[in-house]
Amino acid sequence: MPRIRLDNLVKRYGDFEVLHGIDLEMEENEFTVLVGPSGCGKSTTLRMIAGLETVSDGEIYIGDRPVSQLEPKARDLAMVFQDYALYPHMNVAKNMSFALRLQRRPRKEIDEKVGAVAEMLGLTNFLHRKPGELSGGQRQRVAMGRALTRDAGTFLFDEPLSNLDAKLRGQMRAELALMRQKVRKNMIYVTHDQIEAMTLGDRIVVMNGGYIQQQGTPEELFKRPANKFVAGFLGSPPMNFLDAEIQSLGGQVIVSGDGFEIALPEEKAATASGHTASSIILGLRPSDLHYSPDAPEHEAIDLKVIVSEYIGAQSVLLCHCGAQKIEVELKSETPIALGETLRFAVNREAIHMFDRETEVAIR
Amino acid sequence: MAARKETQNPAFYALIAALVIMSVGPIALMLATSFKTNVDVYDASVPAFFFSPTIKNYETVLCNFLWYEPVHVEYCDPTFGRALNNSLIVGLISTGLTLTIGCMAAYALVRFKFMGRGTVSMTTLLMRMVPPAVLLVPVFGIWTFQFGLDQTYAGIILIYTAMNLPFVIWILQSFIVQVPIQLEEAARMDGANPFQVFFLVVLPIIQPGLAAAAIFTFRIAWNEFLLANALSGRSTRTVPVTIVNSITEYDIDWGVIMATGMLLAIPPILFTFVASKQIITGMTAGAVKG
Repeated sequence: MPRIRLDNLVKRYGDFEVLHGIDLEMEENEFTVLVGPSGCGKSTTLRMIAGLETVSDGEIYIGDRPVSQLEPKARDLAMVFQDYALYPHMNVAKNMSFALRLQRRPRKEIDEKVGAVAEMLGLTNFLHRKPGELSGGQRQRVAMGRALTRDAGTFLFDEPLSNLDAKLRGQMRAELALMRQKVRKNMIYVTHDQIEAMTLGDRIVVMNGGYIQQQGTPEELFKRPANKFVAGFLGSPPMNFLDAEIQSLGGQVIVSGDGFEIALPEEKAATASGHTASSIILGLRPSDLHYSPDAPEHEAIDLKVIVSEYIGAQSVLLCHCGAQKIEVELKSETPIALGETLRFAVNREAIHMFDRETEVAIR
Repeated sequence: MAARKETQNPAFYALIAALVIMSVGPIALMLATSFKTNVDVYDASVPAFFFSPTIKNYETVLCNFLWYEPVHVEYCDPTFGRALNNSLIVGLISTGLTLTIGCMAAYALVRFKFMGRGTVSMTTLLMRMVPPAVLLVPVFGIWTFQFGLDQTYAGIILIYTAMNLPFVIWILQSFIVQVPIQLEEAARMDGANPFQVFFLVVLPIIQPGLAAAAIFTFRIAWNEFLLANALSGRSTRTVPVTIVNSITEYDIDWGVIMATGMLLAIPPILFTFVASKQIITGMTAGAVKG
């Protein structure tokens, strides 16, 4: 299946520019996830690849072929829409075979393909129902089946799970991952849900404000976020950000702020002292703080617990660190009381630092 | 749960009864009269509803369609039969034409972006506000002297189509607006060209709207008198015109007129029944997430 390349892709509505030159290369058979908050331009990018939005500037290549001026049907794409977009007057089989029937393929071939896809998605018993008689999850599967029957080179997903309730979303996510194992095709998936992005994507492209913030494997993005936005967007609960100063104190490099003082490990200390400004933003993931009453002074942080959110095995504590708020993830059986000030050891290797002006990661 | 008070009020039932009598009464009277001989109609001693019925009037009207020759008909006048035929031709063709043009125009007005779209959309409805009587004289002049369309089917069909189009466009616009744009995008992704999107996806979904519009246009074309009277000739007269023309200074055959009236009422009723079957609410159910 061909590679897809976006070359300086720009979208303007009148004078208002929503996409400011997107450059992106997707490898063959890659599952690429475009993720970002509402209005970041991810859906627009997808719709431009699909051919449903015009391209204001730049070019889209599928393989070596520029396609930005082609009709959607000439691009060899199949798309799953956010709100299913099933043809209400056709039954499931007709919905799934619509594209093939438009191509006037032989009846036998159509029946075989629809049968095979329905089998894969567990829709065999619903082939003669109308979309109105299906549940949300089934409709979503039909929408997916319609795309799969096409046998297109590239599949586009526009927030396909966002209309489902939480439990069903988890189920469908797993089904998608399973389907992914069977169908090795280019897939481009748009979502605002970072969990979907992390679990499904081979490559994640984080977008914000019409720019690509960072792209890479889920692990890369989680462990080495390029800036504060990416760091705060991926991970749940989100990363804590604290205003801090860098100081050299008795051979050690220390980041300190309102209510905390942490000594940096050697490698981090080197990068930190190489940084020009001493005012930074310190990033700490809630999972990198561990309850540990007897941790040494400069490797820990003292927090006053304000609220405890019980979610099962884990609890999320909302704490005060000086005047700043900070969230901590911890095992629910840990005995703590609200209002107490507790000491948490910091996983110092996992500390993130960002420039306060540019919000770019210091590394 | 206690039944609501006002439904038990006798005055309420009296009101309903009065309304029913007002609406059904004339039709019942027409039906009864259509089974009377002309002598009975004028005879005050024959009661309105209880008399010995006869189907002679219907035989007279339909004489050229019957497989036998009614004894009482000396000369079979084909006028009424022909008029029924004319009405059907004019009604069906003008309805078909109006719907075909109307649905495309409505789609264009809703989905295509072009200059003056809003104005066009508004002014189509303005056209509807011109009373047919105002149109009558200029249309008669133009049809007769410019195009020679007087006394032809084409003349009547054209004016009915023009008359009904604004309303049909307007009613279909509101249906097309409700078709989710994602459906059209999905169809485009599936490889449909604009015509396929329109005919295979949009039209089936707005079927209820088409049915409503069809009932409306057919009824108007079927009942219209003023323009038909001016524009139709001997052989193209529709039923309403024929009925009025049969009232002459020498003879008014009420029985035959009533029988024609009854026959006139049947096609629209059938048409409405068939068309209203298509009006199923919730056609787009399951298309997209509410």
